[in-house]
Amino acid sequence: MSIKGNRVAVIGAGMTRFVRRAEEAPGELAARAAQMALDDAGLTIDDIDAVCLGTAPDAFDGVHMKGEHLIAGAGATHKPYLRHYVGGGTGVMSPIHGWMHVASGKFKTCLVVAEEKMSPCNPHPAGAFLTIFDHTTEQALELTLIHIFGIEMSRFMHVYGYTEEEIALVSVLCKKNALDHPAAQIAQKITVKDVMNSPLLSWPVKRLDISPTSDAAVAIVLTNEHIARTHCKAPVFIEGVGFRLDTAYWCTRDLGFPNYVAMAARDAYEMAGISRPADQIDIFEPYDPFDYKALHHMNALLLDKTGRRTKELLFSGALERDGSHPMCPSGGALGVGNPIAATGLMKIAELYFQISGQAGKRQVKKDVHRGVAQAWGDLMQVGTVVVMGSEGAMPRRKTFWSEAKPEDLAGTALKDVKDVPHIEYTPDLRYAWDNGYALTTYLDGFKNGKIRGSRCGSCGRLMIPARAFCEICNLRPVTEYYDLADTGTVQTFTLSHVNWDSSPLPKGQVKIIAVIAIDGATPEMGLCHVLSEIAPKDVTWGMRVKAVWKPQAERTGTVTDIRYFRPLGKNEKVDATPAPIKPVELDAATAKAYPGRIPMSYVYTAGLGGSKFFTDLAKGKLSGTHCPHCDAVHIPPAAFCEYGMIALDPKGGARALEPRSGVIAAFSIVHEDRAGHLLDEPQVVVQVAFPGAVGSVFGRLQTKTGDTIEVGMKVELVRSGKAAGPEHVWFKVRK
Amino acid sequence: MEVVVMGIGFCGSFPASGGLSYRELIARAASMAYEDAGLAASEIDGAVSVEEDFNSGYSIADEYVPDQIGMARKPIYTICGDFLHGIASAVMQIRTGQFKTLVVEAYSKASNVLTKDEVLHFAYDPAFGRLGVTPHYLAGIEMQHFLGSSAYSPADVAEVVVANRSAAIGNALAPYGARLGLSDVLGARPVATPVTELMIARPADAAVVAVLGAADAATNARRPVRIAGTGWASGNSIIEHRNHAYSSGSMIAARMAYSEAGLKSPAEECGVFYVSDIYAHRQLMHIEALGITKDALPFVNPDGGALGSGDMYEATGGARFFDAVKMLRGEAGAHQLEGVARAAVHGWRGLPTDSCAVAVLEATE
Repeated sequence: MSIKGNRVAVIGAGMTRFVRRAEEAPGELAARAAQMALDDAGLTIDDIDAVCLGTAPDAFDGVHMKGEHLIAGAGATHKPYLRHYVGGGTGVMSPIHGWMHVASGKFKTCLVVAEEKMSPCNPHPAGAFLTIFDHTTEQALELTLIHIFGIEMSRFMHVYGYTEEEIALVSVLCKKNALDHPAAQIAQKITVKDVMNSPLLSWPVKRLDISPTSDAAVAIVLTNEHIARTHCKAPVFIEGVGFRLDTAYWCTRDLGFPNYVAMAARDAYEMAGISRPADQIDIFEPYDPFDYKALHHMNALLLDKTGRRTKELLFSGALERDGSHPMCPSGGALGVGNPIAATGLMKIAELYFQISGQAGKRQVKKDVHRGVAQAWGDLMQVGTVVVMGSEGAMPRRKTFWSEAKPEDLAGTALKDVKDVPHIEYTPDLRYAWDNGYALTTYLDGFKNGKIRGSRCGSCGRLMIPARAFCEICNLRPVTEYYDLADTGTVQTFTLSHVNWDSSPLPKGQVKIIAVIAIDGATPEMGLCHVLSEIAPKDVTWGMRVKAVWKPQAERTGTVTDIRYFRPLGKNEKVDATPAPIKPVELDAATAKAYPGRIPMSYVYTAGLGGSKFFTDLAKGKLSGTHCPHCDAVHIPPAAFCEYGMIALDPKGGARALEPRSGVIAAFSIVHEDRAGHLLDEPQVVVQVAFPGAVGSVFGRLQTKTGDTIEVGMKVELVRSGKAAGPEHVWFKVRK
Repeated sequence: MEVVVMGIGFCGSFPASGGLSYRELIARAASMAYEDAGLAASEIDGAVSVEEDFNSGYSIADEYVPDQIGMARKPIYTICGDFLHGIASAVMQIRTGQFKTLVVEAYSKASNVLTKDEVLHFAYDPAFGRLGVTPHYLAGIEMQHFLGSSAYSPADVAEVVVANRSAAIGNALAPYGARLGLSDVLGARPVATPVTELMIARPADAAVVAVLGAADAATNARRPVRIAGTGWASGNSIIEHRNHAYSSGSMIAARMAYSEAGLKSPAEECGVFYVSDIYAHRQLMHIEALGITKDALPFVNPDGGALGSGDMYEATGGARFFDAVKMLRGEAGAHQLEGVARAAVHGWRGLPTDSCAVAVLEATE
């Protein structure tokens, strides 16, 4: 099978530096990447028919509907614009979604942008991962991503026989490759010993096994074949795409091999006409947020469940840049950095650079006709794969990208967010989740000291958590419920030294987190929980364990009614026969909701434009930014123009405005606070225009009871002192 | 390539839906849609879901999509938008030629979100937009701009509420049907002047699922409805730069959809319009951007719109889409209009955005 729609090519790429903390606001990062990609393609924003944007959880940037927040920065003002996401797989989903825009024939050009700003999360972005787990059945266990990586890495080592030292070779390779990448955040020459000696976070995961958290944006330009041939002598085409999403019941699958990645790869290969990936693909950019993940994914990309080929390639040096199967020539997430969605698109950009011969020092030794990039994410659940190729190996070329240095890229690294004008904010995000039919019975089981499941009458699986329908049998209703034994077998485990928010556990304390296959349930139907009454060094794969329950009076109907699982004594008898039960009847008394909250807080930089605004406001001043594209002065100050998609300089391009010259363009008298509670006294929100500038400033008006407010009234900005942030923007009526 | 709606399912809308988990709510809508399409989930190629993290309460909410629509391990991705944005994305996907049939899903468990205004306030720009007051403030600003630049009055805005909530009485799926007078609306508790409490759609729970297919793959579909055109666009996300009197997003989206559907005079060529009315003034603003004349107003939101059915987050446009499909099949029940062969459905993402989508649907019989 070959590609059926229109052929789609990548003709330009742009990116910011990858940094731990960027001063730029999310939109400012996106804008710089987009502008570079347009320049690289030789197009302007007016040539772009549609924009699509990839960015992963809203909890990173700390903006609800952050795709909407990024519209201007992505160059999508007044254009068709869609944001997509599939967790960590988003970056490689981005060109796939862009490909749909063009391959469908609906658009000729599509700007694809991926952005992630993780640094606003306070105290650490890892905290955002607590709420990727099921709110009703898992979050009470206080898990985070490092825990499930530890669980998966442990399983991978167990199944494929890797040692920690062998896996560390990947970290060494990627960080070395990244030394030649202009955007790289943590490129360095390290040894296996360095990895082994780095702090242990959640065995087997150590600090240097992990990619860093990062802020960055990446963009590419996609066009149809006609435009690509007009603008490029040798376009790089998207030859195949694949994406697959597995069940959210992550404890129900063997974590050793990512079938969903292999299925996505198979889809992409079928489109690209690839039957022997190891022979027909020249370079590989598997997702490498952790070092073992690159190998885990290579097994899937090579369609080799035995894992032998990947091992051979790793140990023979074939994965090096001058090897037969270069892997992560960019430096990958481990070396360049891991601003989730932007990482995947960085890998796509690397294929574009390599295949078009403009990778400079990173150019692999062999001729490159074809490459594959892949990303992965969610609850170890999604695989996204793109195959790109040219119509012949291209000569090495001297271009901006082949010569690019870090200083050529935008992205201002901060030591501390509080070094610049910043805004502290804690949203109150609370929920109560209706348990529904199946989980009411499941949670009632915990309250009664029972682990409960339900059986599908079609496939026969006895499933935990209990569900009301079978997800693999065409949503067949599931009506048989059972009490199961509270014993099981450890499938995989991790020995954690960190909390859900990445803070260290008290010294000497280790949290043992395991996936346990419960006796009587369908084999490998697991439950994630903690182990205790055992020394960490004695935990093994396959060990038998039994639940230790809280006293009945303390149980509330939650997974933590099981305090922990302990080793099962050799002489303890187990009756694993499931006992059928009558499910709980739903009525006004039994239909309950499970409480939840998203416990995040943020410290945002004001961005380059915002910094100028709040620095001025502190002194009672106001400036706008001159835009040569619009030949106008924009307020608030801006680091880019969303109409021309050109960079602006809020400082160098500043034009002083009179802060006393404001005019009310519109106002609203508001009666509620941000949470919807009635205010003691109504407040007045005003939108204020300033002569000589386009745009406006929103803020609140200082008023007294009985004041009359009208559109057109003259107002002045009130000096804020040191404080930054919209709650400190006040106006008063000019006398 | 022609793309049709093969089947559709809707579960809702409810002011609250205790007793149904979000999974069970969605599974019911999905089962209805598959039954309607004459397909099993296993026969469908992939899915597009439409979700926002903080509305669902998850980070990377796409994780929790596949199971309740029976699509685990299939090609699935999630977009952020109104349900109609999901339809537009799925239509493109089918037109690549790589997929024959797709599911589009969106849902709301708004009743489970205990701090709705906090969530909405969190959608504003942290540097410039979060003023610490009700996030509906922008609706007040918009309505003032709109009334100031048009011939509409506050009473016209109130009339939208009166009409839609009255229409909802004839829609068995709408929980907010009511007979109101203009004075009820204008005299209701002020939230962000000139917007009163009754000018804002109340939240509701629901799930909507549609099965789309390439026309040549939909030969077994019971009563397919043709998707003749789709369009979507976003106004300026920088609210300091946006023209708040006009919905550019709606206008650009409508032009795209009309053009693709080959419509020259959409107001005459469409028998019914479904227009986002999450805020009452927005219905009038959208009507203007969609090029609808006042003569067509009796045929706008015959199901009661969001004011009558509820604000269902990403599923809000889905409720209108569901009704449009039923209307074109002659299955809309008490509010069925006679002789409707073409419908235009509009969706808006709500504040603080001007992101909109439009689909033109046509009966095939």
